[in-house]
Amino acid sequence: MAALPRRIIKETQRLLQEPVPGISAIPDESNARYFHVIVTGPEDSPFEGGSFKLELFLPEDYPMSAPKVRFITKIYHPNIDRLGRICLDILKDKWSPALQIRTVLLSIQALLSAPNPDDPLANDVAELWKVNESEAIKNAKEWTRKYAVEN
Amino acid sequence: MSSETNAESDMEYSEDDCSYEDYYNSVDDCDSEQVDFKKVDPEHHMLDCLSVEEVERLLNESVEALCNELEVVPSLAKVLLHTHEWAVGRVISQFRSNSSQLLISSCVKPAIPPVQHQENLTYMTCPVCIATHPREKFCSLACGHMFCKDCWAMHFEVQISLGVSTGIACMAQDCGVLTPEDFVLSLAPRPQLREKYQMFCFRDYVKSHPHLRFCPGLNCNVVMLSKELKAKKAFCTQCKTMFCFNCSLDYHAPSDCNTIKRWLTKCADDSETANYISAHTKDCPKCHVCIEKNGGCNHMQCRNCKHNFCWMCLGDWKAHGAEYYECSRYKENPNIANESAHAQAREALKKYLHYYERWENHSKSLKLEEQTVQQIKYRINEKVMTCSGTWIDWQYLMDAAALLAKCRYTLQYTYPYAYYLEPGPRKELFEYQQAQLEAEIENLSWKIEHAETTHRGDLENQIDIAEKRRTTLLKDFFES
Ligand SMILES: [Zn+2]
Ligand SMILES: [Zn+2]
Ligand SMILES: [Zn+2]
Ligand SMILES: [Zn+2]
Ligand SMILES: [Zn+2]
Ligand SMILES: [Zn+2]
Repeated sequence: MAALPRRIIKETQRLLQEPVPGISAIPDESNARYFHVIVTGPEDSPFEGGSFKLELFLPEDYPMSAPKVRFITKIYHPNIDRLGRICLDILKDKWSPALQIRTVLLSIQALLSAPNPDDPLANDVAELWKVNESEAIKNAKEWTRKYAVEN
Repeated sequence: MSSETNAESDMEYSEDDCSYEDYYNSVDDCDSEQVDFKKVDPEHHMLDCLSVEEVERLLNESVEALCNELEVVPSLAKVLLHTHEWAVGRVISQFRSNSSQLLISSCVKPAIPPVQHQENLTYMTCPVCIATHPREKFCSLACGHMFCKDCWAMHFEVQISLGVSTGIACMAQDCGVLTPEDFVLSLAPRPQLREKYQMFCFRDYVKSHPHLRFCPGLNCNVVMLSKELKAKKAFCTQCKTMFCFNCSLDYHAPSDCNTIKRWLTKCADDSETANYISAHTKDCPKCHVCIEKNGGCNHMQCRNCKHNFCWMCLGDWKAHGAEYYECSRYKENPNIANESAHAQAREALKKYLHYYERWENHSKSLKLEEQTVQQIKYRINEKVMTCSGTWIDWQYLMDAAALLAKCRYTLQYTYPYAYYLEPGPRKELFEYQQAQLEAEIENLSWKIEHAETTHRGDLENQIDIAEKRRTTLLKDFFES
């Protein structure tokens, strides 16, 4: 493997030394471009009390290309599909090389606090979120309890 | 026609059919005035097929004109033209009235004041690679966002490999300032990459130029130039592709671009429902013998009982004279609004299938008639070889076949249009014209398939009438 760019080393160090509240991102022992991420469900959101596992991978041309992020824990959310893929503009066309892993994770956390059913990835979830929000929130809470709470 | 296509069987029953003689006589007012179709052809469209070099020259003329007028560098001129549909005059007047606003709307200047840097810095840290370099290793666009040259180069490498060229923007978050050509070319290190970049830019320039279209033909590099920006017929002389200049789909008059897009999507979605239609055989409505359709003509004659009938509706062909031709029109149930949802759905499907069946049938007939043309060629060749006439003598037959294909093509594209037309006088008129064209084309097709027994004057007359019907229908369309 090619030497790790200085930028990735710096970002990793900072993530470990000053972690973002509610988010842990630990590089894999065998691959420094792969991160094990845990995001805790934000307070006052249907995901409160859950801890959600994600994987984050820095592609070869990072930071010119965006990190690849995916939810591993099942989650009921209009912008996250069955495969855990996330609909977030900064992961796609709004990516800028000046953004960092930290900003990406913060944006994902914000997405949990404020789902956006008008820009959906999971269509059936978004639909319910629009026509019957309380029912959708009920589902989200149930999924959180079922899949994101360790017993 | 029936499956027996040999000349003898054709001979038996070609001249004495009165149904088409009837209406033939009714339109003989047409044959005295010979019309020059090039002059009245509503499809006529001035087009040039250009090579890549010719297009480059054309674009460069606009770039040079702008550079001279505004005293700007060519790469800036290109950004301005690309973001303003290559309207040189408009760019010049906007630049003169408010250059700053033009530069902002073209994403050359940032909407907010640029970032200021201390002049005396000798070292800076690049926000992308977090490395510290001497000041001269940095550069920025008009927005003042400084990045090291290595990072710029990497940025270009990734963007160009994604196919992005004129759309490459500054690396800073939410800064949309575009990188002009000279900025990219001076920082992209690999010659191969620069070449690719210029190729992609060229593609973008052609796409942003309202008067230019890439020929959609496979592996064809021709670019079409048109003064008229309409859904008109474009024909590539290089690869012989015919397409709509506006939307680049197969040429589709009298359907408009939106209609044909909706129709093709619908056909793709409903392909399974419509599949059963693709039958090549039907039973004779009179004696029930199985008849195979192996020509393009819808006027069928049963080889068993000699009954003349219509392939589409299985009705008597006598009822298909020009004035009475009803086969193309779908008769909607006037009471449908009061019927059950189930009945309405069935009616909707019936309506769609009516139009789809005719659309599909013409498309198939076009292919079958191609085979007829081959047979005609073969027969002409035989005749010439046995000294009955020269090639020139038989040319009218080839002309007739070519016109038949043209008419049938137009007719095929009348069906999507009619399908989406709201009921009313406009639809009535259109379906009347469509029916007339339908009748003339079937006559022409019949006469061509029975060419040996049709008088030349008769056939030439039929060509005139069919083309007249076609142009009348199209003229209404292009004028509306
Ligand atoms: Zn850098
Ligand atoms: Zn910028
Ligand atoms: Zn072509
Ligand atoms: Zn079109
Ligand atoms: Zn029969
Ligand atoms: Zn019919």
